Amino acid sequence: MAVDPPAVRPDGPIIIPDQAENDALLAPFNMEDHPQGGFHGLLEVIPTKADYILDLIRANSLWPLLSGLSCCAIEMMSTATSVNDIDRFGMFPFRASPRQADVLIVAGTLTTKMAGPLVRLWEQMPEPKWCVAMGTCTTSGGRFKRSYSVVQGVDRVMPVDVYVPGCPPRPEGLIYGMMKLHELVKQRRGEWSTFVDRGPQRTRWEGDVR
Amino acid sequence: MTTIDPETRIPDPIELDEAEEARLRAAAGLGPIPREGGEYAGFESVGIPDRPPQTDRERDVYTLNEGEMLINLGPQHPSTHGVMRLVVKVRGEVIVDIDPVLGYLHRGIEKLCENATYTTVLTYVDPMDYLSSMHNEHAPAIAFEKLYGIKAPPRAEYIRALVVELNRVFSHGLMMGFLALDMGGLTPILYSFINRDEVVDMLSAISGQRMLFNFFRLGGVNWDTNDEFLSRLGTWRSHVLDNVLMNERMITENEIFTTRTKGMGVLTGDEAISLGVTGPNLRASGVPFDIRKAHPYSIYNELEFDIITQESGDSYARYLQRIAEIKQSIHLIDQIIDKMPHGPVQAQVPGIIRPKPGRAYGAVESPRGLYSVYAISDGGPNPYRFRMRDPSFISLQALPKIMPGRLLADTMAVMASFDPVMGGVDK
Amino acid sequence: MEHVRRPRPTADALGRRCPLSAPAAAGSLVRLVTERLGSDLEHLWTDEDTVEFQVEAARAVDVLTTLRDDPDFDFFMLADEAAVDYGVGSHLEVVYHLFSWKHPAWLRVRARVDRADPRIGTVTHLWEGAMFHEREAYDMMGIVFEGNRDLRRIYMSPDYRSFPLRKDFILPDDAADSPAAGVNPLERPETWDLARFRDAPAVAVPAIGERGGPPPALESGETEADTSRPR
Repeated sequence: MAVDPPAVRPDGPIIIPDQAENDALLAPFNMEDHPQGGFHGLLEVIPTKADYILDLIRANSLWPLLSGLSCCAIEMMSTATSVNDIDRFGMFPFRASPRQADVLIVAGTLTTKMAGPLVRLWEQMPEPKWCVAMGTCTTSGGRFKRSYSVVQGVDRVMPVDVYVPGCPPRPEGLIYGMMKLHELVKQRRGEWSTFVDRGPQRTRWEGDVR
Repeated sequence: MTTIDPETRIPDPIELDEAEEARLRAAAGLGPIPREGGEYAGFESVGIPDRPPQTDRERDVYTLNEGEMLINLGPQHPSTHGVMRLVVKVRGEVIVDIDPVLGYLHRGIEKLCENATYTTVLTYVDPMDYLSSMHNEHAPAIAFEKLYGIKAPPRAEYIRALVVELNRVFSHGLMMGFLALDMGGLTPILYSFINRDEVVDMLSAISGQRMLFNFFRLGGVNWDTNDEFLSRLGTWRSHVLDNVLMNERMITENEIFTTRTKGMGVLTGDEAISLGVTGPNLRASGVPFDIRKAHPYSIYNELEFDIITQESGDSYARYLQRIAEIKQSIHLIDQIIDKMPHGPVQAQVPGIIRPKPGRAYGAVESPRGLYSVYAISDGGPNPYRFRMRDPSFISLQALPKIMPGRLLADTMAVMASFDPVMGGVDK
Repeated sequence: MEHVRRPRPTADALGRRCPLSAPAAAGSLVRLVTERLGSDLEHLWTDEDTVEFQVEAARAVDVLTTLRDDPDFDFFMLADEAAVDYGVGSHLEVVYHLFSWKHPAWLRVRARVDRADPRIGTVTHLWEGAMFHEREAYDMMGIVFEGNRDLRRIYMSPDYRSFPLRKDFILPDDAADSPAAGVNPLERPETWDLARFRDAPAVAVPAIGERGGPPPALESGETEADTSRPR
C-alpha cells in the first residue's frame, strides 16, 4: 500500500525556540535573578524539591576516580576495602576513566610534573564534580613544604571542596571527609554549585590544534 | 588444565604478511619491495614525545617501523603502583619496546634531608617506599649510627627487627593482592588489606602512626612495646598463617593466574645481577643474595633462617618467593619474640646530633630488595649528603629487557610481580 | 653509662659477631687492592665493614672493570652509584659501592670529577643497571657519563634547567617564594576578613558540671555533624 510522503509545509518547518537562556520564564518563581542563571534542576518547573532528591541521589552515589598518587592512596585503598568499607556509602566503584567519575580524591603528593596530567583529569570529569584534597601534601604541601618540585597544595591548580588533613589521614578521617562532602552536595555548597555554566571551557595547552 | 609452552612464540600477523608477500614476489620473480627507514614519531604525528630525541636510546624507542604504534600507559592508570608512565611501542598487541618515564612523584627528599637534622631525616624518609616505612628508616639509622659511633641497645635492635619483619609480612601480603588485582581478580586484595589493617593497627599501637611510622631514632627506637601491641601481636600471630594460606589457596592454583604468570617475564640470574635487581626478584631467579646473610646487620646473626630461592625466574616464581618469605618472616618473628631481652630501647644521645665528619653506608633488605643509604657528615647538625638507593627504581630497568615479545596485557602483570612502589622510585 | 658515644666495638657483651669482626678479613682485600690497583688509588681508608679509596675520573672505568672481571676481586654486583657535590669551590664525586662473595666488606670507589667539566666514563657496559643511576646523577648533579646511550633527565621534566642537588641550588626558606604563591586567597592576607571574628559573639560553652538540659538548638544552615565548634 503506497503511503503519500508528508506534505511540505508551505510556510516552512516548525521551529521550536530554545528557551535555555530565557530567564524571564523564571519570573513566576522569583528566580530570574538567581546567581546560577538559567534553568537548572531536574524538572524545570519545580527547581527545589526535585533538586533535593537529585542531590540526595548524587551524594549517596559518589564515584571516585582512581587518582592515588602516593602514600595516601594506600589509606584510600584501605578505606575502600573490607575493614573500613566505603561501599556502604555507595563509593565502591573507583572508576578508572575520568569520564565516569564524580569526585576526584587527590590522594598523595602532587608534583610539578604530575600537575599537568592531574588538571587534565579534572577537566575531563563532567559536571557535577567535586574535589577532595586528602592528606596534608594536597592541602598545603605538607611535609614537603620547601621542596622544589612539589605543588604547595592542590588548591593552587584546581578548586577543592573538602580538605582532609593527616599524614596520612586515618580511614575514619577520610570517611568523615566524605560525610562532609555529602553535606556539601546536599546543600549545594561545593565549588561546582557556584560554577556558572558559560559553555565548554578548557585550558589551552601548547600544541593544541584548535 | 591447559599448559602454555613458554617457548612458544606468538605469531606476528605483520610478519606473516611480509613472509607471504616475500614468497609471492619470489615466486613471481620480483625482488623484495624496497622499504625506507623507520619514521621518527615526532610531535606532529603522535604527540609522544613532545620534543626531538636527545639520546640514542630515545631515538630507537620513538622511531616507528611498519605497523608499530606508541601507546601511553599514562601516569594515571588503574594499576595500583602509583604514578608511572610507560610509553610502549607495540606492533599489534605484541610489545616491541618500553620506555618508562618517571618523576611524577619526585618530591626532592634528598635535598630536603640536607636541610634537616639527623632525627628529622628519619621522618623524611618514611614516604619514600611507603609500604615498607620501617625499612626506610632502618637504613639511615644504621648509617647514622655508624657515623656517630654508637650502637643501639639489644632490646632496641630486637624491636627493630620485629617491626621490620612485620612490615615485610604485610608488604608481601599486599603484593599478592596487587598482583591479583592487576590481573582483574578483585578478591585477594580485600584479604590482603584485612591482614594489612590488622598489622598496621598493631604497629600504630607501638609507634602511634598507621602508615608512615616515625618509629626509629638514632640509637634505638622511640617507644617500648606496650600491652596493646603485645596483645594484638598474639592475636594476629595465632591466625596469620591461616589467612595467608587462605589467600594463597585462592590464587596459587588458579588456572587463570598460573597461565598468566608461568613463563612470563623470565629473568635469568645473570641478567638480574647485571640489571641491579635485588631482593625477592633476584632470589626468584636463583641467586641466593640476601643482605641479612651477606652483610648482616642488627641481630640477624642470632636468628636462624635459610635463604630461599626459586629456579624459574618468572612471575610465578617471584610470587612463590614472596609467599615463602612471608612464612620465613613469621618464623623470624617467633624467634625474635622468644629471644627478646629486657633493657632500654634508646641510647642516650643529645638533642642535636653532630657526628664527626665522615662517610657511612647502611644497607638493609627491604621487601623490594637492597635498600641502602650513603650518608656524608661534615660535623654539623645536618647531613652533608644523604643518598638513598631504592630497589624499585633499579628493578624497573628489567621491564624493557623482558617484555619485548610479550603481549601488552602482560605488562601490568609482570610489573606487579616486581612489586615496585613509586614513592621509592621517584624519591 | 653503657650506651654513650664511643667507637663501635668488634664484639659486645652478648658475644655477637659483628660484621667483619676481624680486621684481618678486610685485610686481604686491602692487600689485593694495593697490589693490583696501587697506581690508581689514593687515600685508602678502611672501616670495620668498608674499604674505600679514591680514583681520578679518567681511571674509574678501568678500575671498575678490573674489580669486576678479576677473579680474585669478583665484585659482581654494583650496589649503588651515587653523585656527591663537595661545594662550590670543590669537586664533584661519583661513588660506587660494590659487593663480592669473596670479600666480606663493601668496597667504595670514589671517583673525583672536575666541577668545571663534569665528565666521567659510563659503566653501563659493565652493569646494565647503572643506567638509571647515571641518569639520576645527571639529572640531579649534571655529571655527564660518556658512552651512556640514554643520558637524559629522569626525575625532572626534560625542559628543567637546574641541577637540584648541587650545593648552589638553594631551597627557599619560605613557600611564599615558590611558584604559584598567592593563587589561593588563604595565602593573600589582603583578602582575609578578620572583622567577622572580631564582631562575632563569643560562644560560651558552660562547664561540664553546669550543663543542665539538652544542648542548644541548631542555628539555620548548620547540621549536627558539624563539629567546627563545641555545642
